[in-house]
Amino acid sequence: MADQHPPKYGTVARSNQWGTRVKPNKHGLRLGDINVGVYGEIPDRWEDQTRNPRGAIAKKGVPPLGYAIRDKADLWADCAADLYEEAIQRRFASATDVPWHTIKPLPDVLERSICQVLTELCQYANCDIEVISQWQHQMAYGYHEVKQFLATATFDATRMYETFRKRALCNGGGLGLEGPGEINRMILESRGGWSETVTYLLLMRGSYMQTMLRYLERYAQNDAERSIYRFALEAKARQITYGLDHLRYSIAHDDDRRTVMQMLFFIGDRVWARELGDHVLREALSIIFAGGLEDAPTEGNATYNRMMRDFMNEYLGICEWLGVKRDLATLPGRMSQFVIAAAG
Amino acid sequence: MTALTPAPVPVGNTTPAVEFKLDWLSQQGEWGTHAVAGKQGLTLADVAIGSYGETPEFSDNMTGRPRGAMPRKASYRIGGYSIRTRSEIWLDNASFLYEEALQRQWSSATDVPWHTLEPLPDDIETAQCNLATFLTEVEFVAGDVPARWIAQTTPDYFEPRNCLLAQVMDEARHMDVFRKRALANGGGLTQATGGTAGVVGSIDLARDFTEMSSRLHISGEGAVLTIFRMGELMAYNDAEKAIYRLCAQDEARHVAFGVMHMRYMSEAAPERRDEIESYLDEAERQILAGSQNPAGQATTSSDALAVLLGGGRDKYDEGMKKLQAIRRRQIQEYIKRVRSAGYGERFDNGRSRIQDLMASTAA
Repeated sequence: MADQHPPKYGTVARSNQWGTRVKPNKHGLRLGDINVGVYGEIPDRWEDQTRNPRGAIAKKGVPPLGYAIRDKADLWADCAADLYEEAIQRRFASATDVPWHTIKPLPDVLERSICQVLTELCQYANCDIEVISQWQHQMAYGYHEVKQFLATATFDATRMYETFRKRALCNGGGLGLEGPGEINRMILESRGGWSETVTYLLLMRGSYMQTMLRYLERYAQNDAERSIYRFALEAKARQITYGLDHLRYSIAHDDDRRTVMQMLFFIGDRVWARELGDHVLREALSIIFAGGLEDAPTEGNATYNRMMRDFMNEYLGICEWLGVKRDLATLPGRMSQFVIAAAG
Repeated sequence: MTALTPAPVPVGNTTPAVEFKLDWLSQQGEWGTHAVAGKQGLTLADVAIGSYGETPEFSDNMTGRPRGAMPRKASYRIGGYSIRTRSEIWLDNASFLYEEALQRQWSSATDVPWHTLEPLPDDIETAQCNLATFLTEVEFVAGDVPARWIAQTTPDYFEPRNCLLAQVMDEARHMDVFRKRALANGGGLTQATGGTAGVVGSIDLARDFTEMSSRLHISGEGAVLTIFRMGELMAYNDAEKAIYRLCAQDEARHVAFGVMHMRYMSEAAPERRDEIESYLDEAERQILAGSQNPAGQATTSSDALAVLLGGGRDKYDEGMKKLQAIRRRQIQEYIKRVRSAGYGERFDNGRSRIQDLMASTAA
């Protein structure tokens, strides 16, 4: 087909809002900065089923792509654009940013425990990757800030996956026994909507993993491990921030969402409790916290219990912050043992 | 509201000892692994040692365990992976491309000298915005589509999967940088082209990974890469030069992924050669006629390119001559890629009609 001659400029409307000139500020030119005029108008429902950029003039007659998530309440978080830019600023390459030379040989049982925990953390990161990436393309283009933030989230999870693996394979150890996978299955099966996935992946698993990473950083054997866990903590914090912001937005715009979440937590608690019954991770963490096997059944286990108490505080605090009522009497014993409730 | 109080946890000598099973201590993958960091740090290639570096030709890992970890017999088959044959996704330099992607991350907020943007003549600004709108539209095709294949790929092939995840990140940044450019200099987003629609033969609808990769990496991104490399000719300030340069380095990795995967496929699965030739036939039919190439014939983005290359609407014909040269270069680079991937004989045995296309771009 021949080219148009003369060019079509001037024969079609040029723009929905010509004359837009966003200037950079001291933070540069960020994604949120350009949400001005029509370009910053984010509708409650995005009807367009094409990749029409928000604010551009839509072209009629384009076959649809079939996005499943087109309601703002189903994915939005006001902080997504900021989190996206923050993730980009915090560049991290494990090959060169981790001081690998600080890792020295460790007692065999301690190395085995570290490798076991890292194996399970690899699986957590893998779950993040597989779950988030299967939702990304289903999200409508009008909410590109969320899609872009999630691109950073899967990229962060990728880096966690390879960094945990590198640590497991660089100090005379290897990978351990794979985890039970029941929680992974629950998260992967949360297909009722992205908000359901956020509840399980970013809040339940996210807050658990964040708590574990804090403890692992505290009980790290060297600077390399500290830097690994610190990077993972930063990334996890961004995910949880998005998750909280999204669910709060979602609850505020969908009358039934809070009740659905209550049910999700009720179901999730039971799955969670079953996996907590697996002794492998508990024992490995206890050995790490005790610095060896000798004190693991006592002091190590006590520290593990403190970690679980912190997790339960975090988890129930999140529920409280979201206004999702929890009946503590219905918590499974493996979770409630770390919480006592006083009537307020 | 119920007030929550942490449960008291006894510590130290008062802590009752729990009984440990410790059976897992003897259930581990290969032990005694000492990956050593090289001068590039500790890379993925460095940890691909012993059994941890062995990628199976067919993966039976349906539980999502990391490659080399000890399987747990009671684990759920939660993977549901459709890509479990190595030739379907593998390439030999995935680790290298991934590590390079990590080293070359950039920020559109701070790595582009936005302050160098100055008001441009109206026809030039319109053309820049038109091109930026098009690129905003197409760049996330290359984000959405690879993402869809990641969860379908067994983690036994995590190296290529990591490359695709880095690509999703890159494309998010491309989408954002072109949107920023459109809104930063007195213009705005113009009309979308609809060039990424869900029509037969589009990147979105590919049913096979290699088919998708041939459409996305070899043909689509290959064409865009040529444009980015010619960015100096279309840029009117340092900000635009930086944008094209930074995007080009990312795009080059994505194209390299496609070429190297196709090369591996060519060697490892010769029984699929005829099928791959069909994908290339399709790619060649669309390379200039399709609407995902910004320099494609009869697209508004090619009009915009002609205006930018010529230096104004009144120099459209001059710009079109340069655009024809770019199209020829797109085709030449495409031929080089396909030859490199191991399918070069199609240009010698008459199967490819690309020379006809080349003739249509003669100055």
